[in-house]
Amino acid sequence: MIQRFLRNKVVEVEPRPDGTLEVSWRLTDDLLKAEVRTVVQLPDMEILEADAKLDRFLPQGGEVASELIKKIEGINIGGGLRKIVAGLLGGPDGCPILVTAILESANAVILHFTRPGLHLSESMTDPTELKEGFQFMLQTNPRLVRSCIAFQDDSPLMEGLNL
Amino acid sequence: MISFNRSQIIGAEFPDSEIIRFNGIQEDHIYGMEINMEVRIKDGEILKIEGNMKRYTTPVCPNAIPILQTAVGKSLRDEGWESKIMKEIGRKGCEHFAEIIIECGHCFDPALRSRDLSLALEKDPALDQEQYLKNWSA
Repeated sequence: MIQRFLRNKVVEVEPRPDGTLEVSWRLTDDLLKAEVRTVVQLPDMEILEADAKLDRFLPQGGEVASELIKKIEGINIGGGLRKIVAGLLGGPDGCPILVTAILESANAVILHFTRPGLHLSESMTDPTELKEGFQFMLQTNPRLVRSCIAFQDDSPLMEGLNL
Repeated sequence: MISFNRSQIIGAEFPDSEIIRFNGIQEDHIYGMEINMEVRIKDGEILKIEGNMKRYTTPVCPNAIPILQTAVGKSLRDEGWESKIMKEIGRKGCEHFAEIIIECGHCFDPALRSRDLSLALEKDPALDQEQYLKNWSA
């Protein structure tokens, strides 16, 4: 059946020579085109720069998106980000698309750091070694504990852990 | 060089006047997931859902597929629906399935607006599209 509506979204993380990460978040669908670019400084993951451009039929807050997004500069990616972003970019005078863009960009930065560890685990074929690898990951990333079915208390990957 | 890339593609079909059918795909360097779901237009209730995991990270991940059925009966119009989906499908099942369902939910009104605008344009090609969408309500 022919689709009546189609949305494409891409988020990319690119390490830059100066040690910062550039994150490009883009959305295009039948009614909206949006681009949000952020630059993140390590190791504290501070959002140094943020730019936004919205086009086609602008949603709520779309007219002021390029100014509104500046409020996020200086904020660190970490605990409480969801509330901070909702407070700065959401609400009746905010722009929900920018909230989504920043949260998804921040998530992509986290996954940029997660990817190398997962590459290492792929080379492990012994189930015990693999389990130990996941348990090390949980001990060093406590935010993962009970974040999904794999890391719930009754999961075999959690056996023997007291987290 | 790009160190992480994620794409989400959400499509919407209208098999009849009462149902919207979403297909959502999320592909990135780590995960590959797909959701198909049908939603009743008048109240946003999820009527049917199925998921497919193409790429995942732990042997436990596929156990999240049956958890998807707890989404049936939930409405994309309810107050706090995103948090409910993340809690029930994401935390108890798979966060990435939840992300796709939430993006389908974000596309609910845009898909209806897009459908209505294209139907209106068929009747009146000179339609003021901006004004039409400003006056549009679900």
